[in-house]
Amino acid sequence: MGEYTKPLPVIEKWNAPYWQAARRHEFVAQRCRACGYVHLPPGPACTNCLSADQEWVRLSGKGTINSFGVYHQQWHPGFKDDMPYNVALIELAEGPQIISQIIGCDNDKLACGLAVEVTFDDVTPEVTLPKFRLA
Amino acid sequence: MGLQDLRDQICIVGVGDTPQGSVPDKTGDELAIDAARAAILDCGLKKDDIDGLFVQPSYGRQGDYLKVGLMLGLNPRVGGAVEASGATGCYMIQHAALLLHAGMANYVLLVYGTNQKTNRNRFGGALLEEHAPYGAFNPSLPFAFAFRRHMHLYGTTEEQLATVAITERRHAALNPKAVLRTPITLDDYMSARYIVAPLRLFDYCHITDGGHAFVLTTAERAKDLRKPPAYIRGLGRQEAFRAYETPDLVMQSFQQQRVAGMIFPMAGVSPKDVEALYVQDAYSPAIIAALENYGFCPVGEAGRWIQDGRIALGGELPVNVNGGQLSETYMVGWQNTCDAVRQLRGECGPRQIANVELIMCTYTGGLREHAGALILRR
Repeated sequence: MGEYTKPLPVIEKWNAPYWQAARRHEFVAQRCRACGYVHLPPGPACTNCLSADQEWVRLSGKGTINSFGVYHQQWHPGFKDDMPYNVALIELAEGPQIISQIIGCDNDKLACGLAVEVTFDDVTPEVTLPKFRLA
Repeated sequence: MGLQDLRDQICIVGVGDTPQGSVPDKTGDELAIDAARAAILDCGLKKDDIDGLFVQPSYGRQGDYLKVGLMLGLNPRVGGAVEASGATGCYMIQHAALLLHAGMANYVLLVYGTNQKTNRNRFGGALLEEHAPYGAFNPSLPFAFAFRRHMHLYGTTEEQLATVAITERRHAALNPKAVLRTPITLDDYMSARYIVAPLRLFDYCHITDGGHAFVLTTAERAKDLRKPPAYIRGLGRQEAFRAYETPDLVMQSFQQQRVAGMIFPMAGVSPKDVEALYVQDAYSPAIIAALENYGFCPVGEAGRWIQDGRIALGGELPVNVNGGQLSETYMVGWQNTCDAVRQLRGECGPRQIANVELIMCTYTGGLREHAGALILRR
């Protein structure tokens, strides 16, 4: 296997638990202990009530495809062998929306509204990307 | 005091632009200065009459407020940089209007210059850093999402979307300033390559070099200047940092509907009073979103509504009669408001909308964080 040439996540204070969980094949989000709001991307406070009292919780990993685009233009050399590839906006069952990719499915089989579930792509020894497959 | 007190009190009195397209011998800042000179000349002021200055930053560290201020040789009473991505030009006009209305400035100059075509800005960055591992590059992705979802929810087709690019190109053919003037057909559109599907080549703005500038003043002071003023009848804006958490994220409905709820009551008009619409169209689905969210047609129907010449010059609601950013030039909305002012003055030659009195200009910027609009009247 060749060297991994795609961009890797920039891991910092707030998102480190997210990426550490992904490495363990756990899909997590922040939940506010004050108001119960579940939110991503990770941050220092609840985006609903601004409480700093946040915990990390495991999500079901289930969601639906809100929409998706298929890249026919390559902007980064790391994606050369993937062309054309999809990028999808996923509505998670618990509420947040995230950008990810649908794997294990031809792009022409994708559709808005399809049910998906999380899967884990161990792209380097240190980094795992949560991705999705049709449920 | 309410927002309605601002109605028709402030005017755009000067517009300036430079050659657009490829301008390899000038920096972005030089183009900004050229546009500023043209706008000051257009309204007949002297440089030192200007006591307000705002500058939009541009690609390659151009458009630095301090540098541009030095180059212009101004000592403005008020000024600064405004950074709101594609909505910056709109927000600057609004800031200028508020400062002028409050008496903090008499004549405000707004400038933007870029040489991002010559300097090969590829727009290849991720929208947010966290998206890069997934290959989510280029600002078109949310528009691809939006149009895919529109197709899914309402049955809109790619052939319907083609009408935006075809119409704008037809408008550009009437505009000597436009960079892309060769007409395109539905076949041309459909046979062009996908960039981020479902969007094709002709759905994308055409990156250009160039500069634009505006001078604004009060309605009272405008009477003494060279050209007929374009009155700011209404303004509105909405920020949306929580857009990511809403299921209709990609449709921009929250932001733009809020702007509509502010601007139409302020202006005392409704969408059916608007005689022409200019949309800051980095990508063609921006037209669909604006038509629906501002109430020009029902949500979900824009794909059908734009057919049969309705948004073409001579139609019910001409849209981007300059050719928009798909065909005239990509000046993040500045070129649209510039053209709207010229339309209200009757300066547009073969693309002139006969006797036009009321024009709306809409802007969006960022991932979905910024939305703003202006209504201008003769």
